[in-house]
Amino acid sequence: MKNPPFTYHRPTTVDEALALLAEFGDDGKVLAGGQSLLPVMALRLGSPEHIIDIGSIDELATITVGDGVTIGAMVRHAEAEKSADIASQAPLIAAAMPYVGHRAIRSRGTVVGSIAHADGAAEMPAVCLATGATMSIASADGTREVAAADFFQGFFTTALEANELLTAVHFPAWSPTAGGSVVEIARRHGDYAMCGLACSIDVPNGTITEAALSFFSVAGQPIRVAEAEQALIGKPATESSFADAATVVAEHLDPTGDIHATANYRRQLATVLTRRGLAEAASRIGVPA
Amino acid sequence: MTDTQDRQRSGLGFVGQRVKRVEDERFLRGAGTYVADVQPDGVLHAAFLRSPYPHATINSINVNKASRLDGVAKVFTGAELNDVTNPFLPFFMLEGLYTPLYKCMSDDKVRHVGDVVALVVAESRYIAEDALELIDVDYTELPSIASIDDALTPGRVQLWDKANGNVLGDIDASYGNVDEIFAKADHVITRTLDCPRQTNQPMETRGTVVEVDPQTGHLDIHNTSQAPHMLKWATAALLVNEGGFKNLGKFVKNAERRSAFLGAAKSFVTTNKEKLKASDPAGQKSQFEKDKSMVKHQMRMASGLLAADDYPTVKAVDIGGAFGSKGPVTREDIAVAAAAKQLGRSVQWIEDRVENLQDGGQAREERFDVSIAVDADGTLRGMKVDAYLDQGAYPAFPISSAIIPQLWKLYMPGPYNFEAFELNTKVLATNKGRVVPYRGPWANETFMRERMLDIVAGELGMSPADLRAKNVMREGSMPDAFITGPSIDETMSVAKTLDRALEMIDFDQLEEDKAAAEARGHKLGLGIASYHEAAPGPPNFFSSAQPGSDMFLYEDGRAEVEADGSIKMYTSQSPHGQSHQTTYMQVAADELGVPMEDVEIVWGNTDRTQFSFLGTGGSRGGPLGAGVMRMTAREVRNQVVEVAADMLEAASGDIEIVDGNIHVAGVPAKGITYADVAAKVATDKRISSGAVFSEEMKYEGVGNGGWSVATHVAWVDIDLETGMVEIPRYLVVEDCGPIINPGVVDGQVRGGVAQGIGAVFYEKHHYDDNANLLSATYMDYLIPTAMEIPEIDIEHMETLTSGENDARGTGEGGMIGAPAALTNAVSDALGVEVHEQYLPPYRLLELAGVITPD
Repeated sequence: MKNPPFTYHRPTTVDEALALLAEFGDDGKVLAGGQSLLPVMALRLGSPEHIIDIGSIDELATITVGDGVTIGAMVRHAEAEKSADIASQAPLIAAAMPYVGHRAIRSRGTVVGSIAHADGAAEMPAVCLATGATMSIASADGTREVAAADFFQGFFTTALEANELLTAVHFPAWSPTAGGSVVEIARRHGDYAMCGLACSIDVPNGTITEAALSFFSVAGQPIRVAEAEQALIGKPATESSFADAATVVAEHLDPTGDIHATANYRRQLATVLTRRGLAEAASRIGVPA
Repeated sequence: MTDTQDRQRSGLGFVGQRVKRVEDERFLRGAGTYVADVQPDGVLHAAFLRSPYPHATINSINVNKASRLDGVAKVFTGAELNDVTNPFLPFFMLEGLYTPLYKCMSDDKVRHVGDVVALVVAESRYIAEDALELIDVDYTELPSIASIDDALTPGRVQLWDKANGNVLGDIDASYGNVDEIFAKADHVITRTLDCPRQTNQPMETRGTVVEVDPQTGHLDIHNTSQAPHMLKWATAALLVNEGGFKNLGKFVKNAERRSAFLGAAKSFVTTNKEKLKASDPAGQKSQFEKDKSMVKHQMRMASGLLAADDYPTVKAVDIGGAFGSKGPVTREDIAVAAAAKQLGRSVQWIEDRVENLQDGGQAREERFDVSIAVDADGTLRGMKVDAYLDQGAYPAFPISSAIIPQLWKLYMPGPYNFEAFELNTKVLATNKGRVVPYRGPWANETFMRERMLDIVAGELGMSPADLRAKNVMREGSMPDAFITGPSIDETMSVAKTLDRALEMIDFDQLEEDKAAAEARGHKLGLGIASYHEAAPGPPNFFSSAQPGSDMFLYEDGRAEVEADGSIKMYTSQSPHGQSHQTTYMQVAADELGVPMEDVEIVWGNTDRTQFSFLGTGGSRGGPLGAGVMRMTAREVRNQVVEVAADMLEAASGDIEIVDGNIHVAGVPAKGITYADVAAKVATDKRISSGAVFSEEMKYEGVGNGGWSVATHVAWVDIDLETGMVEIPRYLVVEDCGPIINPGVVDGQVRGGVAQGIGAVFYEKHHYDDNANLLSATYMDYLIPTAMEIPEIDIEHMETLTSGENDARGTGEGGMIGAPAALTNAVSDALGVEVHEQYLPPYRLLELAGVITPD
């Protein structure tokens, strides 16, 4: 469990980092908080020749408010957890934080790093998908923006090219009449969930006008169940509406099984979490569930 | 002054008090000396190339590229190390058992994921691991044996050529007239119960630092061993590389060695005359029928040992846990020692967690086909069990998992009045990691029996509590011995713990709590389990399992006062979390009348401590280990008092020692110290250092009991939507006799229960259908954390015998009782029979009928 040799680079500007990525391509790997990359290297499941540590790029360590909130690539989970701006502008991130690993992991790990790593069992990608976040991607050739729905492409797979850096993720403005929650069931506190849900409903005047149900740890990437979201639109935010949505989730979700949770069990959890998550989301905006 | 010193002055002493652990300061400050802290000058670092396949033949191995890597000292192929070492020989032989011989490396065949194929020695572990990636091994994959069913299926691929299939052992035991009892009983209730594979998982993995003296070639082996003397002699024997008459000639010429050996042999034979006579050669016969080569290897090793100029020293200072896994001598221990000896350089190997999960020690994958004969009124009559034990690939050395059925056959009927009992055990070879003792190695018998009692109660329409109360052995009518042989005395007081536990359960409240849980969509249940354990058991415990097997079961110890008055207590125990240092200081300080800090406990260095086959294990550290501390300290005190009486011109009977002040009773102001007395003796003897008072002893315990007993009660709450479990209450009523340190005992009980909670709700070592390891990291092998462990109430009973020093061991019990109590509680909660020990959330919902299996 010792990592293979690599050349270490520590750029101080985004341009320097992009130049290194352009030079090394597939042989380079970006290091932010290291909470996924370093174990992968220690287990020798990956052996990048060049490590590009973006920890000294101050311009990436920012949380910016404006039509929502933008989180830079070096904002650590612990900072996001404490940020009042994130709590008000992107409450699903705040709701997810207590579930992200343990405190020590949150002190080092970054929000954007978790998104770029794209573990289908992690909270952050599901939150991106639920909120319609936008990825800001840069390379030596320029910048581009990719919607969360297009970014996550499967098991640890994203739209990022080898020469690209995910510099920031933008979460759109949160509707004042929307409530959201992140709920999950893990075997032990701090473990990856066996099933989790990031969800939100917008209830401007008694009926649900928008709904997002984004499940994690059910497949290689987070999954939204559009049929269940659709079933909520136009309905009152009541227990019975949520139970109906849960039934639709059970019909449409086709989770995988592993040693911790069978597929049937994950489906069961998804329906329970749909009810629990939506009820909690409703309670956040004072709508009686 | 501390409270404990006040207590001691009042004559009450340290024993029995919740003294803070003296070990903790160095551990918590990072000042312990663990094996990885030992860094001899110029030490090289080892890494093993391990098989990625469960079962394969090795066609060829090419280490050229790896050998050329900068910083690599040497790459050893398996064959190179096997050439200079001897095979691990069966030490523990039973009728019907074949134990395959194997060498420290695999050179022609690999038998499990993680099997050792090559060893790289380099300037750093990083470089060593880089080199591993450059070794080219050509394997041909073989089909694998992944499960008990695979191993029982005839005609499958064999792990061991000389075996009949993959059943290595077929071991019978029978007590009472089983056929008659079963024919006459009103009911026979039969079930199959399954237990999953677990792994011991101490915080510190295995490790060895073999320090080579450049001048003499002497090996100092710093190791995580629970049994340092066993490691010393096993290493010496397995590294013998000269054979035959040449060695015998050397031995014959060495007069000193010859007389020492013959003296020791004569004394051993005299001491153990009866035991040697009782030994049954049937085990050796069974082994020889399969493989006669043992004799040749034994001769070579024996003659080599007799002729050797020097033997290794093993040093084990601080060890970060083991739970049994660090008792066996392992292939890596021998391979690293052989590599260091070959290179003439110090080499260290620190096992990483991936290696540890692959082969650091696994346990408990067992199945029981059990029948219980019972009368309609609930009288238990007989028990018949067919057991299957998945040993993994390489049998542990020196004691293989075949010792487990030997313990089962003594324990299985439990503290109940069964009239007849029969056990057949099949020991099975599979392509999985090595099975080692794990805290209460026999524990699944308690799970099996106590689970079955609940099932029997259910069939008869009785309550589980009533069935137990009706059948448990009770004082007054307790037999002198179990039907399985071991003696019984008042320490076998399971009934007392059961009665007390039942008093402490509010059954009316339970019904209310069950209703309240149901209203929340939960189910609540209560489970009870009772058991006894030999801790260390009566003198005839091991001989009941196998005549003559109790030859090495005494505990050695030595007390010394040195010329400067310092007090040293030498133990052959190898502490690894049990608080030996604290408790032995308590015991010795009380005997010697000194403050605890005046007593130094010496352990773990084979040059300084006496031989012990077992080291630490078998719940012996309290009763025997502390017992020999007490007895030798008492004798040394008597020696000191004799001299002090002379110095103080008083009768020895008038001498008191309080807080280190040796004085005539009533005149403490005119006292002298241990240093004064020691100085007097040193002057008289004209010595300036070394021991002036000394007492050495072999201690075998007292009485016909030595049983620790307990009843566990678990309350389990299950969320029927998610299968998530809470344990609102957990109660242990235990009796381990007089307690030396309640804090230590409570810690042992709680730690054991925590592992039992792990066994039922979190921990399963998963192999797939092809014997690939799935739970290969801590992402997938889940050990409960403080978040998952509830408060655990402990009620101590402390039955005292008429003798003294009848403290009994308590290290294993928590783990023995918990899986049974917890699964019984689950069964009660869900209203279904539970036939398996491992119950993750998905399985609970399947049992509850909420979901169906995939």
